[in-house]
Amino acid sequence: MGLVKETTSGIYNLLLGLWVTFKHLFRKPVTLQYPDERWEMPERSRGTIVLLSDPETGELNCTACMLCAKACPVAAITIERKKDPETKKNYPTLFTLDTTVCCYCGLCEQACNFDAIKLTGKYEFSVSDKSELLYEMDFLQEIGRDVKYVKKKKAAKKAKKAAPKKDTGEKSAEKPAAKTAEEKKEDSNEEDKAKDKTSGEPKEKGPEDKTE
Amino acid sequence: MSVKQLRTEEMLINMGPQHPSTHGVCKLVIKMDGEEVKYIQPHVGFLHRSIEKIAENRNYPQFVPYTDRIDYCASMNANHAYVVAAEKLGDVEIPERAEYLRVIMAELNRIASHLVWLATFTIDLGAVTPFLYAFREREDILDLFEMTCGQRLTYNYMTIGGVGWDIPKEFEPKLRQFLKIFPSRIDDYEDLLTNNPIFLHRTKGVGVLPKETAYEYSVSGPSLRGSGVKWDIRKAEPYSIYDKFDFDIPIGTEGDAWDRYKVRLQELRESAKIVEQAIDGLPGGDFKKKVPLTWKPPEGEVFCRIEAPRGEMAYHIISDGTPKPYRMKIRTASFCNLQVLPIIGVNHMIADLVAIFGSLDIILPEVDR
Repeated sequence: MGLVKETTSGIYNLLLGLWVTFKHLFRKPVTLQYPDERWEMPERSRGTIVLLSDPETGELNCTACMLCAKACPVAAITIERKKDPETKKNYPTLFTLDTTVCCYCGLCEQACNFDAIKLTGKYEFSVSDKSELLYEMDFLQEIGRDVKYVKKKKAAKKAKKAAPKKDTGEKSAEKPAAKTAEEKKEDSNEEDKAKDKTSGEPKEKGPEDKTE
Repeated sequence: MSVKQLRTEEMLINMGPQHPSTHGVCKLVIKMDGEEVKYIQPHVGFLHRSIEKIAENRNYPQFVPYTDRIDYCASMNANHAYVVAAEKLGDVEIPERAEYLRVIMAELNRIASHLVWLATFTIDLGAVTPFLYAFREREDILDLFEMTCGQRLTYNYMTIGGVGWDIPKEFEPKLRQFLKIFPSRIDDYEDLLTNNPIFLHRTKGVGVLPKETAYEYSVSGPSLRGSGVKWDIRKAEPYSIYDKFDFDIPIGTEGDAWDRYKVRLQELRESAKIVEQAIDGLPGGDFKKKVPLTWKPPEGEVFCRIEAPRGEMAYHIISDGTPKPYRMKIRTASFCNLQVLPIIGVNHMIADLVAIFGSLDIILPEVDR
């Protein structure tokens, strides 16, 4: 008796499963044939990192403030900078991104106050040689030319343009709403410290000497 | 010559580290008597990245991307565990909206993680169809994550002080659409598997984990609940805002692979219930409180645990008042759950060992860290 019951229940449940798969015959396939068709990447997509340029002048937005390099947990960004003697503005002379170590966390974008660096939905950057994965400034600028962005930090940007005296002082003065007093101190400290350096060694790579 | 006179001996076999059913790089040294497993020794450490040591050299906010890599199937939950611990350490109050968003994301990720488990578990048993269906639903969840934070696996979504991004406009309608169809999809999996005679034979009575053994080896998560223990951190020690939601803790009776399967399927429904309640009650306002990169928590230590899809995930952070933690210990569920495999896996066929390993839901980066 048990055997009969087991057999009938087994057959019923097998047919039930087959019915589920049969129903799927008439559903729309969810597969996308990749090289021919592509998904539209969402706006916030965190793919390849680009450097943004001013759409009017075509120059980089980057002021080489080193905040992104400091925020990077894997030290993928290296910046060297110079000061323009006329406008007294800083500009990067070297900006390399090591995509072999980059973890696409987006902390650099969050740290940036000048709309200079952005993670975009661009993909397909495979190369056959590993050394080509070290992106130089020109390349990063080139792939970022067609990237549209909203100037979120307009206030900071305006301040920078209006009075090209000192980045730090202006910035903290112009952004009273978003920042707490402690943070201002933090930021200006960081920038001052960064100013002393000429070459960007973003963060200490070796293990800290700790009492263990 | 009769069968008894034949010379037999136990055979030592290395299963893995490149074995597809070990879900990563776990090596099992097995002693076999014919087809029967007599002894199991898991070898771990192939995926060791010394995340705990890395934590000592990173600022607190910088460590969040690393927590993604502890458990790549449930990064949101790993994020959640870390930020809850860090906030407890530094006494950071976070906006209510952020708490709700965290719960929505964590529960969605629990669903996604269980779907990956269902897919791989069934494919280990030879059923290919549920794999396709489960990944289809997971895709919807990953789309939701991608539109919110831009990534599909390593989200870096939760930050100390809130969440990194607010949800976009199109998130809510898409989530509601998903919640509407999802229960019927779970019914589909149940139709395919729950009473399927082949599935029943492969899982019923296989890898029975008694309650006592589970206690002794500090097994947690669905594997523990499958053995009939009603223990869930979300209820027992509510963190975040889990005390505001109404949900059940499904438990099994026997503690075999089938019970663990049943518990996880039930958890899919419960998680969907929580997400629905959370999206209904989502308050407005701020979604994050800015915490500077050089955030310094006060001196002291904190231990904080949460319920991740695989069990208890806990962070023990010791701070010496500097922007970097002095020591960070991460307790992950998979490491503890793997320890019962040598106990419950013996005296089974080697094909059943695959089923048992799958039913425990081990994820190797979480074991090795």
